[in-house]
Amino acid sequence: MRIEDSEQVEEAVPLAQQAEWQDITPIEQDEGEGSMCPIAYTDEYRELMGYLRAVMAVGEVSERALALTARVIEENPGHYTVWVYRKRLVEELESDIAKELDWVSEISSKFPKNYQLWHHRESLVTRLWAPSNAQGVTEDQRVTNPVLRRELQFLGAAIDEDSKNFHAWSYRQWLVSTYALWTQELVFVDTMINQDVRNNSAWNQRYFAILANRDPSAVHLEADMAKSEIEYVVEHIKLAPNNDSPWSYVTGLLLRHAPSMLYTDLLPRIKQLAADNAYQAAMTLTPFYWSALLDIYEQQAADHPDTKKQLVEESRAICDQLASETDIIHCRYWNFRKTSLDTC
Amino acid sequence: MTETFATDAKLLADKHVEFIQNLDKKQDGLEYWMTEHLRVSGIYWGLVALFLLRRPHALDHEQIISYVLSCQNADGGFGGHTNHDSHLLYTMSSVQILAMLNALDQVDGLRVTKYVLSLQTKSPMTTVCGDKWGEHDTRFAFIALAILSFFNTQDQLDVNGVVEYVRGAMNYDGGFGSKPGGESHAAQVYTSVAALALAGRLDIIDRDRLSSWLAERQLPCGGLNGRPQKLEDVCYAWWVGSALDILQRRHWIQASKLANFVLSAQDEKGGIADRPGDVADVYHTCFGIAGLALVRYPGLEEVDPVYCMPRSVVERLGLDKWQSNVPESWSQ
Repeated sequence: MRIEDSEQVEEAVPLAQQAEWQDITPIEQDEGEGSMCPIAYTDEYRELMGYLRAVMAVGEVSERALALTARVIEENPGHYTVWVYRKRLVEELESDIAKELDWVSEISSKFPKNYQLWHHRESLVTRLWAPSNAQGVTEDQRVTNPVLRRELQFLGAAIDEDSKNFHAWSYRQWLVSTYALWTQELVFVDTMINQDVRNNSAWNQRYFAILANRDPSAVHLEADMAKSEIEYVVEHIKLAPNNDSPWSYVTGLLLRHAPSMLYTDLLPRIKQLAADNAYQAAMTLTPFYWSALLDIYEQQAADHPDTKKQLVEESRAICDQLASETDIIHCRYWNFRKTSLDTC
Repeated sequence: MTETFATDAKLLADKHVEFIQNLDKKQDGLEYWMTEHLRVSGIYWGLVALFLLRRPHALDHEQIISYVLSCQNADGGFGGHTNHDSHLLYTMSSVQILAMLNALDQVDGLRVTKYVLSLQTKSPMTTVCGDKWGEHDTRFAFIALAILSFFNTQDQLDVNGVVEYVRGAMNYDGGFGSKPGGESHAAQVYTSVAALALAGRLDIIDRDRLSSWLAERQLPCGGLNGRPQKLEDVCYAWWVGSALDILQRRHWIQASKLANFVLSAQDEKGGIADRPGDVADVYHTCFGIAGLALVRYPGLEEVDPVYCMPRSVVERLGLDKWQSNVPESWSQ
């Protein structure tokens, strides 16, 4: 997959038979007295680990040690001890970081959920371009910086591979946050949502991109912004009404940052959709529409007590319908919701 | 409210015990050495399952204790296996194992405390890291609080700082992510809620919204998923069930349907898989059984929803005091 041809030939040859390694005596794994977990390795891995322990024990800093860590990691990246050693080697050998990132990228496709890979990436990127240096330039310039461009490309590919990879999205949040790449992130999120409207990770990222590191409790959404988000959500509900994410996103967003717009703006739009011939059947069948109505009515009744009686009556009927027809698996929840209406 | 369980399938208790006993005999398997770095957690998962199945002596306690102690390093923490670097995850598993085997006195609590405290950080925000690498996550916030509770040294941690970190991970859907901004995920919900239970700050949770999000994890097939639009998986019987239990909303999940799902994921030769038809592993065996114990499936010991250990062990150690942190209004 990766290394010079000459090394590839040597790969198949045990280290014990390689001239380069003659000066090292491998350290066998000490399983402890009466160990209940004696380990059986494949011979190759066992040998690699023996040599690795030996060089780690003396703190050797060398290219051969670096190559050895690569081989171990490529077999078993979950062995997190090796990563600490590799990081140190990369630093002390002053290895080409761009090349190191390329190597990490190759491994990532084999082990997309390994935490150490992502963390190693993080430390390499901050070394390549310190966040403080990034502050003096515009976002456009930051995005086109080779370091960040490579990262965004890599992340795009990783998320393409597995669109809900927790680690990838988390790393992306770190990158966007650290280098203030908010504008491009909204564009990316939109692309991902349009690729798969059911991707909850993408919707979560939308909220992240809009909040842009501000403290949630201090953010009040402007009417224009809220309206445009409502429109965005409605357009995507049309694509798949029985889809949790957009409903959860818009009710959560408005509840936190513009609660009255739940009933002044969201409510008429979704009712309009439910009355539309093209969507009526789907909207009636999805629990998320009815559940949204419950949330909206709850806010409306709290803000306008004069409407409470009628809204509670409507809500009760909705709970009954959900519990008995539309969402039977969650009937216990809907029954609770109904009884809690009485105590509002 | 007591559940009645439909008898579609039986819990193959004896088979699961055998499965766990045979785990360290599969040494020629690739999976065995690939999971070496988390061996200690593997033992914890096996032991929990055995204790809940009421077969605590199916594994040799002395051997386990001696192995676990061999995983402790100079810094006071424990690695996933002998000679592996310390990590909070494996320190937690080690301490839990010793607690269950009544051998906590064989470890110096102050040394372990010192290790945990060394992982506190103030950058990028006040929280606790998993290891000296610096990964932070709501899981580690919980684990730090839990480990220290075993040694009664919780007040040496910046508990307020940790609570604020967890609060920052609370999302618009009421759920919790791995870190502030992170997508809500059932496992992170469990660790966040459990952390807040230990810290006495369950009040910051939007109880109704979170309970609803958790209940929503149950799919028509009866199984639970970890976040919207993902597949059901046996382990969520624990992650979702335990959080709901702490929130006092356990009954919002249909227990009978969940039990049927978990039981259908059993391998008739022993062990439980992530879903029916897949290969069994000790992780899903543990959390499948713990999930069943939560809903009081017959024949199982009661499990503590914060510690994921038998309730009897938690009570013996006086660790059930987290229950007094549950807001009174929740019990009504």
